[in-house]
Amino acid sequence: MDTVLLWWIWLAAALFVFGCGWRALNYIRAPEHVRWDLYPVAHEPGRDHGGSYLEQKDWWTQPREKSHWGEVEFMFEEIVLLRGVRVNNRKLWWGSLPFHWGLYLLVLTSMGLLVAALGLSSRLWLGLLALSGGVGGLLTAVGAAMLLIVRSQDPRLRPYTTPLDRLNLALLVALGGLSAAAAVVPGGMAEAAAAVGRLLRLRAPEVSLLLGLQMAVAALFIFYLPFTRMVHFFSKYFTYHAVRWDDRPVQAGSALERRLRGALGFGVDWSAEHIQTGKSWAEVATTMPEKPEDPGE
Amino acid sequence: MPLSQLKSPEDLERFLLENEGIAPRDLVPLPFPYQDWKDDPIPELTEDQRGRFEVGPDGVSAMRVPVPTTEEERDKLVAGFLDGLRKLLTKENNWTFLQPLMLSLENCVKCQTCAELCPIYTASGHAEIYRPTFRPEILRKIVSRYLKPGGGIFPKLRGTDIELTWDHIVRLAELSYRCTLCRRCAQACPVGVDNALITREIRKLFSQELGLNMPELHDVGTIKQLDTGSSTGMNPAGVKDIVEFAEDDIREKTGLDIKIPFDVKDADYLVMHNAGEFLSWPENLQAFAIILSVAGVKWTMASDLLGYDSVNYGLFYDDVQYSRIAIKHFEVAKNLNAKRMLVGECGHAHKALMPIADRVVPMELHVPVESALVLLEDLVVNEKIMLDPSRNEFPVTLHDPCNLTRSMGIVEPQRNIVRAICPQFREMEPHGVNNLCCGGGSGFAVGQSLNFPAWRTRVSGRLKYRQLLEAFDDCIEPETKKYVCAPCSNCKGQMRDLFTYYEAWDRCGMLYGGLVELVVNAMVDVREGFLEWNFN
Repeated sequence: MDTVLLWWIWLAAALFVFGCGWRALNYIRAPEHVRWDLYPVAHEPGRDHGGSYLEQKDWWTQPREKSHWGEVEFMFEEIVLLRGVRVNNRKLWWGSLPFHWGLYLLVLTSMGLLVAALGLSSRLWLGLLALSGGVGGLLTAVGAAMLLIVRSQDPRLRPYTTPLDRLNLALLVALGGLSAAAAVVPGGMAEAAAAVGRLLRLRAPEVSLLLGLQMAVAALFIFYLPFTRMVHFFSKYFTYHAVRWDDRPVQAGSALERRLRGALGFGVDWSAEHIQTGKSWAEVATTMPEKPEDPGE
Repeated sequence: MPLSQLKSPEDLERFLLENEGIAPRDLVPLPFPYQDWKDDPIPELTEDQRGRFEVGPDGVSAMRVPVPTTEEERDKLVAGFLDGLRKLLTKENNWTFLQPLMLSLENCVKCQTCAELCPIYTASGHAEIYRPTFRPEILRKIVSRYLKPGGGIFPKLRGTDIELTWDHIVRLAELSYRCTLCRRCAQACPVGVDNALITREIRKLFSQELGLNMPELHDVGTIKQLDTGSSTGMNPAGVKDIVEFAEDDIREKTGLDIKIPFDVKDADYLVMHNAGEFLSWPENLQAFAIILSVAGVKWTMASDLLGYDSVNYGLFYDDVQYSRIAIKHFEVAKNLNAKRMLVGECGHAHKALMPIADRVVPMELHVPVESALVLLEDLVVNEKIMLDPSRNEFPVTLHDPCNLTRSMGIVEPQRNIVRAICPQFREMEPHGVNNLCCGGGSGFAVGQSLNFPAWRTRVSGRLKYRQLLEAFDDCIEPETKKYVCAPCSNCKGQMRDLFTYYEAWDRCGMLYGGLVELVVNAMVDVREGFLEWNFN
């Protein structure tokens, strides 16, 4: 059984890396798009009122000022405090906040276990990990349970929640509960650190039933995570930095200009009459359309 | 069907397919003096019209889509839709929006955090079909079911059990014209998903693949503009005639003898107006001419085809039509060797000519583009024209066009002007980048087909109208004349219809207009009384 667990965990980890990488690559490899910025843009000096550099006279001659601190401040509020949900959807926030904090703590605990497996396994360190794992697991379980209830009861959310979404939340309740239990049992973190060490050396983890179950469920979670909407933990980088906050103007001779010029050479095969299919974007955009018939009143 | 009856994701289909219309009793109530106001129901289409045109799930028709006559035709349209959907997700056909579209399709967690921010959803009394996630969710189901590998596996479990028919897709098409693309929902999304963009992309799919769109945007919009030079149908000779009338009007009203320059080479500013102003609000054109001339600005207008109309409705529904018009606009500026283009009071023209055009128009055609609000701020705040704010001693509030604020971050210049010249200026709440759409955005203001205008005044513009009443709640009686400053042609078009339907002049003494009219009204060099206090 331990050997099955060993390969299950490695398979899940590999699929997690592959799946996340594949999805991220899809976003990265997408061509440059037209600007679709949305204000306030966090790096703009005028972000307090939502202003942009377009408020300046002769803006194209002015030096561009970007505040990376503004982005950090925004991201901190959004990632740590879930500001958007707190302001606009307080009912969901009460479950979402502990759920996210719980997951953050579980991720930190997992990283801490890797460090412990590599040698730093003092009692203090393991005690800290037990605390973060215990609290993290509990928060995850409670938060996921609250979300499950809200999504099943609230008529605004119910029609948009699939049976798979509910299964996913139920699994997270189980994962949180198992993680909390595995963290707080006496010697739990030492056992976990040792198991992680063995896994890293491709050896069977040799764990108790409780820890084995926790690891199996955690592996199941990361196995399918890349194929769900939960990838927003990294796709959010693109929605903000590559779309909402992408306010770069095109400069002559820039890499951006070269990529856009390339896009104008793409072939177009839209079928509507006013588009001459089979031509390039540049050709279509400079050819006039046929006049359609009026459908009448 | 009440929301409480919705049990599962497959019930969303019932909302899409069952027509119930919008009942006046569900609309959000208006404050004093509208406590006794009774809305007329949105008129139903006649039997003849229903036989000819498809309607949305609310019984409204914005697109005038002809009813297919045979099953083969329906099947062909469904197949065409799926072809278009595939194309929408390829870089060759949709490099312009592929990345934002993929991100928004794949990452919505359906938390509904956006819902209450939508002016249409809330104004309608929370009609499910207007929820910002409703349309995108239907599209996501279709993508998962028909385009993704294994789409038919465990469809109930995954919420993708949809059997696509013509009824599904034509209602989805109509619903894409029940969102003004104001992007308040996107602003609220914690993940950064933009459901308004998905709505725009649905419009694009229908237009670019099936040739189905809103006639006012396409047939008598971009097609007409590319043919005659303007979506108003005005040709170069016509615009010169109108400008001559404007010069006469200026002389008569202000005593100033101003010549509006045309086709001047090497000008500092090529002024690009929405040509709708010339016909509906000529005082806006006149006010611009007065300010620029008195301030000694070296400016010109263009009489080349498309050079006198900054409108670009392609922005709202079709990337190809958008690009054709944008390129023409920049060619005009290049031919005149203008140092920069100056965009007049039109929100969507700002967005079309500035951020969007930046990555569509080839670099060799690039000409810097600036907002007129920025130049006006410089002239007013730095006292380059003489102003007497006491001439504007009446309550004024400022409407923020979505394209200028939320989509471009131009927020303070217009405020600095109004603060300087209007002693009784008051903000609406919310305002700036958090503003409420006028309800005429994304081309709705020109939508005049069938029962769509009735929907627009009762539903999409409802919250804006309530917001105006609240801004003036201390002086709402009709004896106190008050001014809603809306620096955008499309917003003014919507205000005109809202003010007519809600009898704003008679009940509240409210008038709407542009920003430059307020500036000229306060100019010392101009005879008093530029603003005419009447609504017709």
